[in-house]
Amino acid sequence: MMLIRWCAAGVFASSMVSEVIAAPTPGQPAPNFRATDIAGKAVSLADFKGKYVVLEWNNPGCPFVQKHYDSGNMQSLQKRYGAENVAWLSINSTTESSSDYMPPAKLAAWFKQHNAAPAAVLMDAKGDVGRAFGAKVTPHMYVIDPNGTLVYAGAIDDKRSTNPADVKSATNYVAAALTDAKSGKPVSKANSSAYGCTIKYSSSL
Amino acid sequence: MQLLSALAFALAAIVATPAAAQSLPRFGAAEKHVDAELIAATDAIVPGQPLTVGLRLKHENEWHTYWQVPGDSGLPTQIKWQLPAGFNAGAIDWPHPKRLPVGPLMNFGYEGETLLLTTVQVPADLPVGTPVTLNAKALWLECKDVCIPGEAQVKLTLPVKAQAAPSSSAGLFKASQARVPQAALNATAYIDATRIRVALSPPVGKTLDKFEFFPLEEGRIEPAAPQELKREGAQFAIYLTAAKPVGTDFKTLKGVIVANGGPGYANGWANVVQAPLTAGAVGAAAGATGAGGASGSAGGSSMSLLAALGTALLGGLILNLMPCVFPVLSLKLIGLAQHRTHSGPMAAHGIAFAVGVVLSFVLLAALLIGLQQAGSALGWGFQLQTPWVVAALTVLFFGIGLNLLGVFEFTMGSGVANLKAADTLAQKSDWRGSFGTGVLAVIVASPCTAPFMGAALGYAITQPAVIALSVFAALGVGMAAPYVLLTLFPSLLAKLPRPGRWMELFKQFMAFPMFATCVWLLWVLAQQVDAGGVALALGVLVAVSFALWALGLSQRGARVFRWVAAAGGVLAALTFAPIATSEALAPGTRATADTGWIDYSPEKLAQLRGEGKVVFVDFTAAWCVTCQLNKRVALRADSVKKRFTTDNVVLMRADWTNRDERITQALAQFGRNGVPLYVLYDRKGEAVVLPELLTEGIVLAALDKLTINKLKEASR
Repeated sequence: MMLIRWCAAGVFASSMVSEVIAAPTPGQPAPNFRATDIAGKAVSLADFKGKYVVLEWNNPGCPFVQKHYDSGNMQSLQKRYGAENVAWLSINSTTESSSDYMPPAKLAAWFKQHNAAPAAVLMDAKGDVGRAFGAKVTPHMYVIDPNGTLVYAGAIDDKRSTNPADVKSATNYVAAALTDAKSGKPVSKANSSAYGCTIKYSSSL
Repeated sequence: MQLLSALAFALAAIVATPAAAQSLPRFGAAEKHVDAELIAATDAIVPGQPLTVGLRLKHENEWHTYWQVPGDSGLPTQIKWQLPAGFNAGAIDWPHPKRLPVGPLMNFGYEGETLLLTTVQVPADLPVGTPVTLNAKALWLECKDVCIPGEAQVKLTLPVKAQAAPSSSAGLFKASQARVPQAALNATAYIDATRIRVALSPPVGKTLDKFEFFPLEEGRIEPAAPQELKREGAQFAIYLTAAKPVGTDFKTLKGVIVANGGPGYANGWANVVQAPLTAGAVGAAAGATGAGGASGSAGGSSMSLLAALGTALLGGLILNLMPCVFPVLSLKLIGLAQHRTHSGPMAAHGIAFAVGVVLSFVLLAALLIGLQQAGSALGWGFQLQTPWVVAALTVLFFGIGLNLLGVFEFTMGSGVANLKAADTLAQKSDWRGSFGTGVLAVIVASPCTAPFMGAALGYAITQPAVIALSVFAALGVGMAAPYVLLTLFPSLLAKLPRPGRWMELFKQFMAFPMFATCVWLLWVLAQQVDAGGVALALGVLVAVSFALWALGLSQRGARVFRWVAAAGGVLAALTFAPIATSEALAPGTRATADTGWIDYSPEKLAQLRGEGKVVFVDFTAAWCVTCQLNKRVALRADSVKKRFTTDNVVLMRADWTNRDERITQALAQFGRNGVPLYVLYDRKGEAVVLPELLTEGIVLAALDKLTINKLKEASR
């Protein structure tokens, strides 16, 4: 019987389930997560209950991220919404084996050098947080309302490019979603196709 | 090969044209991985005639740029024209792209060398003789594991002549034009949740053996999701997965289908698909198992033929070890050992046995196909869903057991001998004996569906008859293989132990696995009929054993017992009659051994999935030994039961002990036609199919995966 079980297990190892990224869609509850920030502090989404939360997927090596930091766009959003009591979390899901990976100290230096002002910068080298949200690119943006419901998921704006000059003429979807939600209206554009660089996820699950 | 292309690239860089040399990526020359150049299909511009030009992109090894829809990430290449007055450039005619997987994500783009085509309108009043320069700025994103924006100012100067000849690049243009998708195919598309089914016919004279679908609109199709192909007569259906959330404005499916590798490959083609998309039942591609219920390709018809044949072969081999086959075959081996001195060529025995086995499997398959085409919803275990078949098999195994114990002997030519003459057949020294043993082995094997055969059988049932028959034949070949080997290499046979008294004892001992099989069959019967029915079956066994005892006595010379045997046979038949006519109990009236499980119904399942409940569905049957084993080893383990409770998993049992059309259909949705099947629906209603052999660890790991998200959410 043991032999049969082994053989059968061998045959079926190949039919095991393959992983597909499953994402919550706007209107669904955002999955909670726990991660460590660049200062080594544990941060959980539940810590920000009662606040709007913005999630920004970040990778300094990505030209699309550079576009929004070189133009000062991302920093000004972080400062504007930080002042409005919105928790802005920058998350880096780059795996340690990628050439884009930055250890916490280096990443912290990059954020400081760019005069950025997120509430926290989270290390997610295993990719758990990114996978839970189905984040595909940097910058992939999410807005969560005070009840923990996802109200926006997608691109930062409507200008798919790496050119910093395009920021001025773009419609910023994150700002629009926060404006709608804060005034009690349903978010008119709750979903868009995110653009950017592929997140360099770890291959092991 | 990589070295060669690297060399070629280096050479190309040295002799780069002035236009290419003007490529200036933003991050300096050291980070340049793509060369851009503007070229024309002709050697001159002709006033009033459209001019075909192309942006030639040469990618460094492993680097790529993007198609017009880049997939999960990336940026399409752009050409910004700066043309003299009167000139007008059209949009890019994109050659079809390749799928470029990046971890769990998917991009659509180009590697190696590509030519992005553009048609430029030339003014009719252009003076002949003065050369014209076309300028453009090309912008792209070049990626390997990292991405770098690239741009180049490109230009092309051509003479203006009354007539033009093909340029030196004309061949390249021809090849690229061939890769630009042809006009839209007629197609219809249906969407059910996120599952999309597109029915289409290939262009006239073409076939569709494999394909890749590239969406022409952003955010409509999940780029990385598996794509499946199913043949439906002259038409084909392709199955795609919509990106979530599905927009209400998603009314037309637009994309490019690249078939058989695309133009440039034998029988390859690429066409645009533009299909009105309507909500409707999509049905399941036969291979719709695996992650997400709608994707993945474990064990269904998407399993390649070779894999199915291999699995069937292995399944056949393992069948030899099943308790209800092993004794018969052991006896055959003993027979061979006994006759090895005086039975003629061994190989003939082996081949006769193999032919018997393979023919029986093919016949069984033909029967299955026939029944299936007659509209019956049948699975491999179907014969065990009818009480009288179970009872009859009990009698057969009981009889074989008595025979092995020596209560009576079979003599050839008794009409039903080929069904039960295990011993006699095994000892027969001519080829008919070997052939008969082969047939018997298959008949005896039929209730012992090895757990891993489900996939191969599911595959066979969903395939054209020829393929189904070959899968079953492979099963037979696998089962017969060890014996053929032994007969082809009689030296191996010489290593078998010498015959002696031990053989008689071994034969007698083999009666007990037979009786054990009877116990199992009776237990199955007890799930199907009430206590009275089981008592009747036991009565039949008493009558049969009496008849066989009498038969044994008559064989030993007491001829008068022949009549007693006949009387016993009549008695057995009379007792059997009520069972033969009895109906199986209605599903749901059977006692369920486990508490906390609810009966399966598609409506209830849909409701629970809608409510966001985690549901574990156990597709099982009393006659399925693997199912019982899994129940014992995994599902009833304390750790698993505890987790089911703490995780609020709704436990649903689909009991296929008796025929149940709705369960047959549910199994078919996962590309199966047999049990066990274990499906775990997460709180989003997505299905995860667990392996057919469960352990505590497998179930707990599957729950862990779901629970990570669930618990995180709960703590909010």
